[in-house]
Amino acid sequence: MAKQVLSFTLNGERVEALVQPYVTLLDALREDLGLTGPKEGCGTGDCGACSVHLDGKLVASCLVLAMQARGRSVTTIEGLARGGTLTPLQDSFVRRGVAQCGFCIPGVLMAAAALLAENDKPSEEDIRYAIAGNLCRCTGYTKMIEAISEAAGSVGRSGGVGVKG
Amino acid sequence: MRRFELVTPVSLDECLRALKGRGPEVKVLAGGTDLIAQLKVGMLKVAIVVDLSGVADLRVLDGDAQRGFRIGAGVTARTLERDRALRASLPALSESGALVGSIQIRNLATLGGNVCNAAPSADMAPPLIALDAEAVVAGPAGRRRVPMASFFKGVRETVLAPDELLVEFVVPATGPKSGGAYLRHTPRRELDIAVVGVASQISLTDGICRKARIALAAVAPTPVRATAAEQALEGQPLTPQTITRAADLAVDAARPISDQRGSAEYRRLLVRVLTRRTLTIALERANA
Amino acid sequence: MSTVMKTTRDVKGVGLSIPRPDGPEKVTGKVQYVADIQPKGLLHAKLLRSPHAHARIKRIDTSRAKALAGVRAVLTAADMPYLKKKAPTRAHAVLAIDRVVFAGQPVAAVAADEVAIAEEALDLIDVEYEVLAAAVDPLEAMKPGAPPVAEAGTEADTSEAQAHGSVSGVAAVAKPAKAVNISQQAKLARGDVAKGLADSDVVIEKTYRIPMVHQGYLEPHAVLAQWDTTGQLTLWASTQGSFNTRSEVADVLEIPENRIKVIPVECGGGFGGKIRALCEPVTAELARVTGRPVRYVMTRREELIAGMPAPQVIIKLKTGVKRDGTLMALDGEIVIESGAFSGAVLAVGAVFLASLYRWPAFEVRGFEVLTHKPSIAAYRAPVAPHTIYAIDSHMDQIADAIGQDPVAFRLRHVQREGEAMANNQPWASNAAYEVLERLAQHPSWKTRDEWKKSAPAGKLRGTGLSLGGWLGGLQPTGATVRLNPDGSLSVLTGQVDIAGTNIALAQIAATAYGIDIDKVKITTGDTDVAPMTGLSAGSKTVYTVGAAVLQAAQDARQQTLEIAAKELEAAVHDLEIEDGKVVVRGMPDKGVTLASIGKKGNLYMSKVPPVLGVANPAFTQQAPAFAGQLARIEVDPDTGEVALHEFVVVQDVGKAINPLACEGQMQGGAVQSLGIALTEGLMYDDKGRLMNPSLLDYRKLTAADLPNIECIIVEKPSPAGPFGARGVGEPPIVPAPAAIANAIEDAAGVRLTQLPMTPEKIALSIARK
Repeated sequence: MAKQVLSFTLNGERVEALVQPYVTLLDALREDLGLTGPKEGCGTGDCGACSVHLDGKLVASCLVLAMQARGRSVTTIEGLARGGTLTPLQDSFVRRGVAQCGFCIPGVLMAAAALLAENDKPSEEDIRYAIAGNLCRCTGYTKMIEAISEAAGSVGRSGGVGVKG
Repeated sequence: MRRFELVTPVSLDECLRALKGRGPEVKVLAGGTDLIAQLKVGMLKVAIVVDLSGVADLRVLDGDAQRGFRIGAGVTARTLERDRALRASLPALSESGALVGSIQIRNLATLGGNVCNAAPSADMAPPLIALDAEAVVAGPAGRRRVPMASFFKGVRETVLAPDELLVEFVVPATGPKSGGAYLRHTPRRELDIAVVGVASQISLTDGICRKARIALAAVAPTPVRATAAEQALEGQPLTPQTITRAADLAVDAARPISDQRGSAEYRRLLVRVLTRRTLTIALERANA
Repeated sequence: MSTVMKTTRDVKGVGLSIPRPDGPEKVTGKVQYVADIQPKGLLHAKLLRSPHAHARIKRIDTSRAKALAGVRAVLTAADMPYLKKKAPTRAHAVLAIDRVVFAGQPVAAVAADEVAIAEEALDLIDVEYEVLAAAVDPLEAMKPGAPPVAEAGTEADTSEAQAHGSVSGVAAVAKPAKAVNISQQAKLARGDVAKGLADSDVVIEKTYRIPMVHQGYLEPHAVLAQWDTTGQLTLWASTQGSFNTRSEVADVLEIPENRIKVIPVECGGGFGGKIRALCEPVTAELARVTGRPVRYVMTRREELIAGMPAPQVIIKLKTGVKRDGTLMALDGEIVIESGAFSGAVLAVGAVFLASLYRWPAFEVRGFEVLTHKPSIAAYRAPVAPHTIYAIDSHMDQIADAIGQDPVAFRLRHVQREGEAMANNQPWASNAAYEVLERLAQHPSWKTRDEWKKSAPAGKLRGTGLSLGGWLGGLQPTGATVRLNPDGSLSVLTGQVDIAGTNIALAQIAATAYGIDIDKVKITTGDTDVAPMTGLSAGSKTVYTVGAAVLQAAQDARQQTLEIAAKELEAAVHDLEIEDGKVVVRGMPDKGVTLASIGKKGNLYMSKVPPVLGVANPAFTQQAPAFAGQLARIEVDPDTGEVALHEFVVVQDVGKAINPLACEGQMQGGAVQSLGIALTEGLMYDDKGRLMNPSLLDYRKLTAADLPNIECIIVEKPSPAGPFGARGVGEPPIVPAPAAIANAIEDAAGVRLTQLPMTPEKIALSIARK
């Protein structure tokens, strides 16, 4: 089976990769494009560990074929912090000791970033539903909610998730 | 996932050409939330996948309360959830989209995919039935319209032939003093699948119900209309008594099995509860 | 932004809520797990698994699979002559030889260039099975004449009991004739139970049933194997114990341990499911045969079907009390279903059932039963949540039956330090009483009547609580502490850091040595370089490895002071370490820097030795730790749905080395406990096949299902733990099932004795009332 050329925008840069037509976006990112931030926790869209933004929308990349990303824009956890500076969201997670094993964290941060991009004053319920598609087994979610809420406060002040807090 | 070839049409005609003369070894791919998941666990094997994501015509969304709506098969559950016009005019359909899976799933899952996968628990099917919607199907011989109430034949089986494609849904205007709702029971608040789902849609004239539609998910091989319940409401005012009576009749229309997601006894209990609740909400919305 | 805090002069690190230093790596996706490692020439492994729970293998034909382009190896048991005919443990059952004993058991293995090709190769392997009758329900499997799982004379595998700090003093009993699937038995007894029950005013008898559950770690089992040209095997493994993995793999493959290096890669959760070797041997074989690195990552479906879950437990419990609340007698029977291989921690359940409260007469009989299902490993406080579900549901029912306050009733009867446990060992110091007292002071407990009355129309409200805990694990271990030429410290352990224990170890080392925490680095070494250490399990990492680090740091401090004493011509007892220097007390100008001591230990022709603190302790004293949990709920009686409005965890941690990390454990454990209570269970059909092999139908709680988990830390120092610390990880998974059952009874008047307490069970119980 011949590989196909996949041209798309990845973390703000135009890239081209050769991928098999039957691989998922998740597998192409991890195996062909060197981005192992998105994880496979289940492969069937039931855990959120593979979450990325596709044209700005939060999706389960394990259910998207890589070729379906052609001509579109994909952002992964690696693209959240540009230029090596953590976003206020990531910084909150670090200071509040949110991550334990860390496996769910890239997906949770993508879900939280999607929320904060359109809601700068989320209630606790808003936050819980925003990350309800992300299973975490270590933390019980409470510290995540607190960190996202704190970051929303910073976002409100400084105006954007990608801006240094 | 085992290997397959991929076809990426950019128009409906190209898509139909890709399907022409083929059998079950060719499948169309919309959001992938059913197809890719099924391919991964080996439930399905395919030789060729036809990717619909490049066919813009499938994502049409047009209409209003007066004219009714055209909703493309490729419109996502997330769009159904958040589109203002749909939320205001077709709340049952909007709510059903809002309940599917999680945000990550809803941004991919499509109305057409949910319907064509035809799981007994498909959330978006009962509202389409309750809204008297029609499916527009394209094939080698041209287009045809199929009332949603006749679209499903069995578990994961629809009236679509292998060389046909579901293009869009036509939802007629609901008329004045109309209201609808969709509720389902799931053990978790997200990432779950309906144990029972109920869509109710009613229209009133001078306080009397002129039209009632009640459709049930996950209580039969296909979505089911509770026609006896509907008839018991039409021509009556909606009161707690008539609503309760309709809920009891809806239970009779259900033919649930017992499986790992729920027993038949519990499903019947839920049909009663959710029919009562959706009718109550529909009434509030009709009077609003 | 700095993520390391400066310390105070008095306490260099212990007691501070310092975020773990690997936070930045984790929030940027840079941390590498096994599946992220991409060596050149990597091959992908897949396993063909039996669809039958019990069958004879008549024929396997791999020829078509071998012929598929891109397939590099296909193995069956025939290719591994060293495999024992009767696998003593699950790890030894690498590939089935002539019989499969659980659905999902590996039968063949493939290595291929791509995952997709490996999957297609599995389709091309033909296996002819003769299906046999399977033992599926443990109560049936216990009976004489049930289909046998293991051959007669099987020794119980007690390695799991050792991993969790075995409880001594529990008598083993010879099994009844012909009950071939009973692999372990135990009995504890005291006093005259029959008389006690006969003299009771209120006798309550219930059977509690808890299904198998999966530990639910987000990262599936994964291993990367590669041999070098000298016959050395390297395994990059997602494991809770690299030394344990090394030993098991060496035993299975029959090669010396020092030819295996296990590198513990960042582990995406274990909770007891990764304490044993599982996929490592077969992956190592594929790597050997192909001469290439081979990586095997389980799918979620494989994890659910063929992981190593927690056992199904059935507890028949009968208690008798007098009307005035005097406890009279307890009779309990615990059946633990271990699946196809033995491994249950039988003693713990038997002890906990009759030891928490003061029963003058009791008899507890425990049975481990084998069935044709995947064998168990451990899950955070094995069997304790099940045991507490039974006994603490009972305590609430008894209090209700005799009209007494549920907390006062428990406090009256909870055993204290020094009182005899069911195995006649005295209870070590613990805070069971204090934790329960503290929990009862919570406003949500005090205002439970108001909560109940505030229920909106059509809903019911209630409150419930429970007390549970863990006896505390022990395992020998080692640690080294090295002073560097720049005055910083390097600490080496072999301990896999799963719960964020490394930061706590750093805090202990900093405080014990006398240095700032940002000058301490903890390294987790692989099995070639690290001191031997045990599993990151059993709530014993800080308790044992922390003690080793403490001792090694103290040793390093002593060596440092002795070197400085010579140079300063002072006595060791007059010296202090302050701000990176060793100074004479009261004479801050008379000192020598740590850096200079460190440099001298590495200088050509120097007579000063390098400072290397070493500790290799073994332990004898367990430190029980208790947690109390309270749930405030609302029930929809029509659908049976439970909404959790509040959830509180009060837990004795002995000494909170790192309160932030303690909270993380309390919250995570509580949510796992709530999952066991409300939504989780592996469901098998009557042929022993799993009916819910996906995360859609194996339901773990989402953030939308939960409230904030409130944490209250209690500190009752343990006699032997570092700075008085106790194990933190396991207690919080124990109480929630009982707390929720008690809350549901309070709200809706129905008592549920089967987990999970799903909306269906609740709604139907209410409807039938």
